[in-house]
Amino acid sequence: MNNATEVKKIEIFDPPMCCVSGLCGPDIDPALLDINEAILKIKKEFDGQVQIERYLLSQQGPKFMQQPEVMKRLQTNGVEILPVTLVNGKVVKEREYPGYEELMKYIKEKS
Amino acid sequence: MSNNTKYIFFSGKGGVGKTTMACATAVHYANEGKKTLIVTTDPASNLADVFETEIGHKITPLLNNLWGMEIDPDKATEEYRESILAPMRAVMPESVMAVLEEQFNSPCTTEIASFDRFVDFMVAEKEGKGEHYDIVIFDTAPTGHTIRLLELPVDWSAHIEESAKGSGNTCIGPVASIQENKVKYDEATRLLGDAERTTFIFVLQPEETSLYETKRSSAELKTIGVKNVELIINGILPEEICEHPFFKSRFEMQQRYIKKIESDFPVKIRKMFQRDGEIKGVERILNIEKDLFANSLKQTYSIGNGELSKAEFDTFVPDSIDEIITPNGKTKSIFFTGKGGVGKTVISVATAYKFATEGYKTLLLTTDPAAHIGEVLEQNITDKIQKIEGVENLWSVIVDQEKAVEEYKQRIIDEAKSKYSEDMMIAIKEELESPCTEEMAAFDKFMGYVESDDYDFVIFDTAPTGHTLRLLELPFDYSDQVSLMVTTNEKSQEAKSVTQKRFDKVIARMKNPEQSIFSFVVYPESTPVIEAYRAMLDLKEAGIKTQFVVANQVLEPEYCTNEFFIKRRKMQEKYLGEIKERFQLPVTVMPLLESEIKGLSMIQKASGLLFNNKVNV
Repeated sequence: MNNATEVKKIEIFDPPMCCVSGLCGPDIDPALLDINEAILKIKKEFDGQVQIERYLLSQQGPKFMQQPEVMKRLQTNGVEILPVTLVNGKVVKEREYPGYEELMKYIKEKS
Repeated sequence: MSNNTKYIFFSGKGGVGKTTMACATAVHYANEGKKTLIVTTDPASNLADVFETEIGHKITPLLNNLWGMEIDPDKATEEYRESILAPMRAVMPESVMAVLEEQFNSPCTTEIASFDRFVDFMVAEKEGKGEHYDIVIFDTAPTGHTIRLLELPVDWSAHIEESAKGSGNTCIGPVASIQENKVKYDEATRLLGDAERTTFIFVLQPEETSLYETKRSSAELKTIGVKNVELIINGILPEEICEHPFFKSRFEMQQRYIKKIESDFPVKIRKMFQRDGEIKGVERILNIEKDLFANSLKQTYSIGNGELSKAEFDTFVPDSIDEIITPNGKTKSIFFTGKGGVGKTVISVATAYKFATEGYKTLLLTTDPAAHIGEVLEQNITDKIQKIEGVENLWSVIVDQEKAVEEYKQRIIDEAKSKYSEDMMIAIKEELESPCTEEMAAFDKFMGYVESDDYDFVIFDTAPTGHTLRLLELPFDYSDQVSLMVTTNEKSQEAKSVTQKRFDKVIARMKNPEQSIFSFVVYPESTPVIEAYRAMLDLKEAGIKTQFVVANQVLEPEYCTNEFFIKRRKMQEKYLGEIKERFQLPVTVMPLLESEIKGLSMIQKASGLLFNNKVNV
C-alpha cells in the first residue's frame, strides 16, 4: 500500500474466553464491554481507514502461532500477558486493553 | 424406495420405551435387507443393555445389516477439543495449554461438540463421507434435551447470520471460523423438515403426564419445521389380565387416555402392549418388532396359561429415611433426580406435602422443562412463587427457562443502557441471542433458589438425569470460568469477586449433606436402575453424595393374582434387591396406585404411603 491511503491495522490478541463480547461468561466483564464499545466507535469514525481484528486463542490458535511477537511473550509470561495489542505488527500494549483515547493515538501516529 | 438415507427419530419422555421401539424398528429394517444404523445421543443410553453387547462411542456391528453407536457427550467434547488443541501443543507453553484445556470444559463446548457429531451423521451422505446407510435411527435423549439439540441448527444458523452483520462474534468464536459449518447446519435443518426423509416418532404411555409432554414437544417440533410425526402408545395393559379391580381401574384409565390421544393427534398411531418382563436380547426385540409392524394389534405377548395364580413373594421392608430428612434448623434442600418419567414430580409433591402439613414452611420447585407440578396439584403454577390453596405452609414455583432467559436479557440490557452507545447496545442484544445465554439464565435463576433461606424446606423436582447433571455441574464449570475472567481493570476485579463468592457459596451448600439432600427416584427395572446408578457416580464426581433412593410404582403383592403380574412383581423384587446392593443407601418405596396421583386427596394418600415405612410391600 502506498502513501496517504495507508490503512492502519490494529490486532488484538484476546485472552482465552467463551466469547469476545464479555456477555457469555458467568458474569458480564466490563473490561470487554468497554473495548467493544471503543472498537465500534473507532470503526464508525474511521470507516475504511483502519482495520481492527481480534483473535481468540481457543478459536484462532494459528493466528497466535504465526505472530512471533505474541508467541515470544506467551512463552515467557504465559496467558497473563494477554490481551496484546499490535499496530501494523508492532506491540503497543499488553496485559490490558487499550482505551478509546489510546486507539485514537495509534491511528493518528505516523508509522 | 429411493437411495436417499431416511432418518427416524424416537422422541418422548425417558422411561416410556423409546429405546425398545427404536431397536425394534432398527431390527425390522435390517431384516428387510436395508443397511441400518442406530445412533443414540442420550447421555444415559441403554442401547448396549438391549443388544447385550458393548457398543460405545464408535460404529459397532450388531446384527446382519445393523450397526449401532452411542455418542458419548464427554468423548465428543474430547474429540472436538483435541481437533483444536492438538496443533497448538507443540509450540504453546504448558501454562497456556492448561488454561485452554480448562476453557474447553465450559458448558458451551459440550453443547457444540455433541451437536456437531449428531449433525455429522445427517450430512455425511451429501458430502460422500463414511458408509452409506439406507436408514439411520436416532434413539434420542429425553424430550427437553432432544428439543434443545434439534433446535440448535436453527438457532446457530440464525445466530451466525445475525452476528455476521454486527459485531462479528458468536459464542463459538468469530464468524469466519464457523462459516464453513453453516452449510452443514443448514443441511441438517433442511433434512429435519423434509417429510420424505425424516420421521419423528413419539413414544408415550397412556397417561396424563405423557400425553401432556407429547403435546408440548410436538408443538415445539412444529415450530422448527418438522412435518412428519407419528406416535407409538406403549405400555398398554391387555384387558384379559386386568380382572383384579385394582388393575381394572388402571386399565380403564389407560383406555380413556388412548381415546384422548387418538382424538388429539390426527397422525399415524401404533399401539404396544405392556410385557410381563423386560425387553432384553434380540429374541424379545423381534417379538416387539412383530407387533409394531403388524397391520393389526396381534397378541404376541404372554399372559400365561392360568396355572400360575399364586406365588410366594419376598417382602420388601423400606428403610427409614426419617433421620436424613429431619429438620435441623437450617434450610434443607431436597433434590429428586432420576430418569424422566420415573415419577419425580409425584414424589416431590408428596414430600413437600408431608413437610408443609407438619408445619414447616416449604417451597416446591421444578426445573423440569416439561414441568407438570401444576397438573398434579390441579392448580395453576407459574414462575412466580405462589401459595398452594388447601395446604398450609406450601408454596410452589416453576423455573421457566424461556421466561428466565427474557428476564436475564432484560436485566443485562437495563444495566448496559446507561453506560454504552446505541451501536454497542445493538451488539449486546445480538450477543444475548446466543444459546449460551439460555444456559446462563436458567442457572442464574436456579442458583437464586438454592441460596434461599426463606424456607425450612426447598424441594426440587429436578429435570431428567442428563439435563440435571448439566445444570448441577454448571456452578463447578462456571466457577472455573470465573477465575479465567479477564481482570484488566478495577471494575472487572470487583465483578469477578462478587460472582466468585456467590458461586463458592452455592457450591459449598450443594456439597453440604446437612443442607442438601440428593435422592434418586427409580422404577425397579433394569434401565432406570442402571441409569440412576451411573448418574449417582457422576454426582459423586462432582463432590455430591446421594443420600437415599425411592423405588416408585412397586406392585403390591395383594394385586398380583395372575401370571402376568406375578412375573412383573418377581422382576421388581429382583431389582429392588439390586437397588439395595448397588446403591448401598436407604431405599424407600412408593407403591403403584390404582389411578394417577392428581389432586390433594391423592397426594395426601401418596405422602402417607411414601413416608410410612411400616408398610411392607
